[in-house]
Amino acid sequence: MKCAVGVDLGSTTTKAVILDEERRVLGRGITNSRSNYDLAVDVARTEAFVAARFELLRRKVTGVAGEAVLDRLLRAFRLEQMLHQLGRLHVLMEEECGRAVPAEVRKETAAALAAIFRRIEAEETDAFAQPEAPRRSDFFRDLAGSAFTRAAEAYDAAAFDRLQGLFDKCIIRAENESLALGFRDHIGAALERIGRPADIAPAVDGAVNEEIDDAATVGTGYGRARLPFPKEQIRSEILCHGLGAHALFPETRTVLDIGGQDTKAIQVDARGLVTSFQMNDRCAAGCGRYLGYIADEMNLGLHELGPLAELSGRPTRINSTCTVFAGAELRDRLSLGEKREDILAGLHRAIMLRAMSLLARSGGVSNEFTFTGGVARNPAAVRALRELVHDSYGERTLNISADSIYTGALGAALFASRTAE
Amino acid sequence: MTTAPRTGTPADASRVLTAGIDVGSSAAKAVVLASENGEVTVLSHAVVRIRKRDIAAVIDHAFTSAVEEAGAGELHYVASTGEGEDIPYATGHFYGMTTHARGALFLEPRARSVLDVGALHARAVAMDGRGRVLSYKMTSQCASGSGQFLANIARYLGVSQEEIGPLSLQSASPEPVSSICAVLAETDVINMVSRGIKTPDILRGIHDSMAGRFVRLLRSLDVEGVTVLSGGLAGDVGLQAAIRDALSKEHLGKTAPVELVTHPLSVYAGALGAALWGAFRYRKLDLGGVAWTAKTSP
Repeated sequence: MKCAVGVDLGSTTTKAVILDEERRVLGRGITNSRSNYDLAVDVARTEAFVAARFELLRRKVTGVAGEAVLDRLLRAFRLEQMLHQLGRLHVLMEEECGRAVPAEVRKETAAALAAIFRRIEAEETDAFAQPEAPRRSDFFRDLAGSAFTRAAEAYDAAAFDRLQGLFDKCIIRAENESLALGFRDHIGAALERIGRPADIAPAVDGAVNEEIDDAATVGTGYGRARLPFPKEQIRSEILCHGLGAHALFPETRTVLDIGGQDTKAIQVDARGLVTSFQMNDRCAAGCGRYLGYIADEMNLGLHELGPLAELSGRPTRINSTCTVFAGAELRDRLSLGEKREDILAGLHRAIMLRAMSLLARSGGVSNEFTFTGGVARNPAAVRALRELVHDSYGERTLNISADSIYTGALGAALFASRTAE
Repeated sequence: MTTAPRTGTPADASRVLTAGIDVGSSAAKAVVLASENGEVTVLSHAVVRIRKRDIAAVIDHAFTSAVEEAGAGELHYVASTGEGEDIPYATGHFYGMTTHARGALFLEPRARSVLDVGALHARAVAMDGRGRVLSYKMTSQCASGSGQFLANIARYLGVSQEEIGPLSLQSASPEPVSSICAVLAETDVINMVSRGIKTPDILRGIHDSMAGRFVRLLRSLDVEGVTVLSGGLAGDVGLQAAIRDALSKEHLGKTAPVELVTHPLSVYAGALGAALWGAFRYRKLDLGGVAWTAKTSP
């Protein structure tokens, strides 16, 4: 089978989308961006190909029972990947322990590491046995980080700092190594783990041997200039987001994309081609990093901000534009006794006000209007946008897709599928 | 906490004890001064960084440390400045421009301007020989090129605050940087590092960009003579060198080149100025009595 691949190398995350010959999405993959761009692309692609092979499997199995077995197989596969990464991280930390830890505590530190990794592996295996595992982060860095912190604290509070220091050093190395995480690397073990069900084993063997030929790849995103692709395989983010949004919602005429480092307001025609756009210029105010900075200031997780802001009855009016100044204003207001949720709601409104001015300069908000990028997953941001758009432009259909973070990669994949023809 | 009522006159009315508290966006600074027959002595000073903690507690910590170190049982005037408008035990509040001017003049009598570089803002103040503010100007509402910006960059580079200056001095070919967002700087730094640019060159490039901005501030005030570098970044030798270079490159000063000086107590310029103005007001208004005694301490 011939397929087209789109890669969106963003400042925060790297995304890949694979399309089949009928331009249907076959698989999506995401990873956190890192200093080694090539590797980030490689990991996102590998993830997308894993998802693609599972999608091919899904097209073959039938009925609810088949779906359930596949879900279980996917979870077993994720567990095998995780155990593989944990194993490598453990080896790296042992090596670092041998180099950097003082000789008198080296032995006990190595023993602590062994115990901690045993515990994390047991936790992961147990979680697999639970029927309903809670949704967790997509990234090994986050998963391993929180598990390690928990296990290290429980094992030896006195040695916690040393253990955490080792982790911080080695997680970066582990992330910048190319590990075997593909479908063929782990599907066998995953199948064994669920007991090689007779009804699915042949289909799995088929999926392993299915040739997926990536006929064309197109790259986009913040780091596109550094992608290991020839120039003709690179498209601007603006074009890709326009086309991607058009593919998701064909009636789209205006696209707002808020990513980690920039915000784009784009107008597209009936074919999804860009007619005008505006972009903010190297300033965090008004893009995703703004909310990330605020979350750090408040010692909250990024995903906690939106739901907290949603509790507000009276959003505060924020005076600062600059992110750093807004952080200072936040601290001032908290010390004056203002409610956390009100300030947060005000901050969400402030970032959307910036987006509104970009939209106005790009030509306003036409029907239909599509909101993409990581920030589109934040409910308070969506609510603020909805209100502001309604105030300025009246009734508008606002489209948001669960996969909005992949919009740029989807657009890139569509460009790739055109060149493949 | 309320201000203690003024009762009686102090035992020795000629010796006036005052405290100055300067609250910035990243630290609280406090000093205690004694002034007697026109002679001013700095009895103590303390600086406490806020680090995301409760500001009121940080202020109390700085004030108490300074008072204890000075061994002061009572104070005739507690003066606040900066963002310390609502300190409950303060006798009065003075504006940042006036306190920095007065404090700089105290540290360097030849000074006719002060360049205050804090965590979020930088400002230039021109004054006369008595500390009267003639004009002032602040940087805009963007943290690019602020102290916080430099601190962020240093963190991404794995450099401690104290190492910034000495490293910057080692630079052979500074990497020019234009305005970089303080929050997005991390990716810019990653790009620079991946292009093989050395840490000293990155730091000096940032110092040069900051210095250019500060010199433009000073130029807009038409400063002459000596300018004092104050605020949290005053001790950064790399920044000092960059400003001196920029001053001479821009030929600031009509009659003689503008000279940049600093002082070990430069970070306390605002607090010193507040304490001095407090003593001045105490005498001028003939307030009498004490404003604060150890019993009412926070």
